[in-house]
Amino acid sequence: MDTADLIRALAANARPVRRLRPPLLRAALWLMLAAAILGLLTVSHGLRPRLAERMSDPAFATSLIASALTGVLAAISAFMLSLPDRSRAWILLPAPALAVWLANIGYQCFAGWVSLPPGAVTVEAASSCVATLVLTSLPLSLVLLAMLRHAAALRPFSVVLAGSLAVSAVTSTALSLFHPLDATVIVLGWNLGTAVLFTGLAALFGRGPGRGSPR
Amino acid sequence: MTRKRPPQLRVIGHDAQGEAEGDGARTRELDWSILMARAQDGEGAAYLRLLEQITPYLRSRCARNLHDPRDVEDTVQDILLTLHAVRRTYDPSRPFAPWLLGIANRRAFDRLRRRMRDDAREAPLTEEHHSAVSESAAAERGVDAERLTRAIRDLPPAQQEAVRLLKLEERTLKEAATITGMSTASLKMATHRALRRLRDLLREGSGP
Repeated sequence: MDTADLIRALAANARPVRRLRPPLLRAALWLMLAAAILGLLTVSHGLRPRLAERMSDPAFATSLIASALTGVLAAISAFMLSLPDRSRAWILLPAPALAVWLANIGYQCFAGWVSLPPGAVTVEAASSCVATLVLTSLPLSLVLLAMLRHAAALRPFSVVLAGSLAVSAVTSTALSLFHPLDATVIVLGWNLGTAVLFTGLAALFGRGPGRGSPR
Repeated sequence: MTRKRPPQLRVIGHDAQGEAEGDGARTRELDWSILMARAQDGEGAAYLRLLEQITPYLRSRCARNLHDPRDVEDTVQDILLTLHAVRRTYDPSRPFAPWLLGIANRRAFDRLRRRMRDDAREAPLTEEHHSAVSESAAAERGVDAERLTRAIRDLPPAQQEAVRLLKLEERTLKEAATITGMSTASLKMATHRALRRLRDLLREGSGP
């Protein structure tokens, strides 16, 4: 196809579009959704037993705050990266919080820290833990996917990375709040799955413009 | 976070020098920004003007990295299609050039990567390839001819004679009848049977 023809075809197809709101506002909207989901879970589920007591443990408190902060920063990073005129250095925004969070998980593993009260690991506890995982990360992933779908043609990998990090961090925060089970492995496994979903869809939509081009 | 300095828009074919040209680029960028905003509101005419104005600019930018003119044109089209797909991400309160270049660099990079991958996998076609291809084609034709000759030799003598006179030497029925002393009707019948037999023989030979 001739470039001049393409231009005419595109111009003929210029339907009005709604401009995206500023990225910070969109990140805030998504984070409000995350907060709302956590709120609903609190209402339906109740917080984990002895949360206040656990919060006085600096390691637990640091980990919780670091994962929540990672979620916030990674969400901002994903929305910034999804725009063509923003620097790709935004990918580094969640790095400090992530470092603290991971260092904390590592320290806990190293110290053989177990957050379970004796006898807490039952099938029931584990399955309700997975339920929290799915209830939190699935809607958040899907909404984020819908909000960032235009980025598939631009920077699919950075956006996927930041987006799935945001979902992982929020999910992990939720699990720390609701379950006495230290489910880091489940969270990581689940969110790897999320990342694969994102990448797959990104690859699917990301090839769009290339496929449409005439040889 | 640190932000990269927004890329400078230059007049095509020149390095922007002096105040006047710099002003020109700024004015033009402002124009583009306004046109894009109107395009987002669904104004086809503004969109057409914008796309027509940015195309030469994109073409000259792509030509810096890509050497094949077809690659340049394909990349320009890729950029235009991506721009169209993500046109709602443009914020008219921000400069237009960095937004456009963000898209353009992405597509140019994709094309460059594909080009490098293809170059690594492909070798240019030389004279030798050509002669190799035609030799093997000629060899195949030779094999076919030989199989046909052998198949004809397997036919009964009357049928062989009919095929040779009517099909290979392309004589008329009357001539063939005079030469062989057979009637035209039996010549026709022999030819028909010969051809059917040949078809069977050759099909057997080529296998299922």
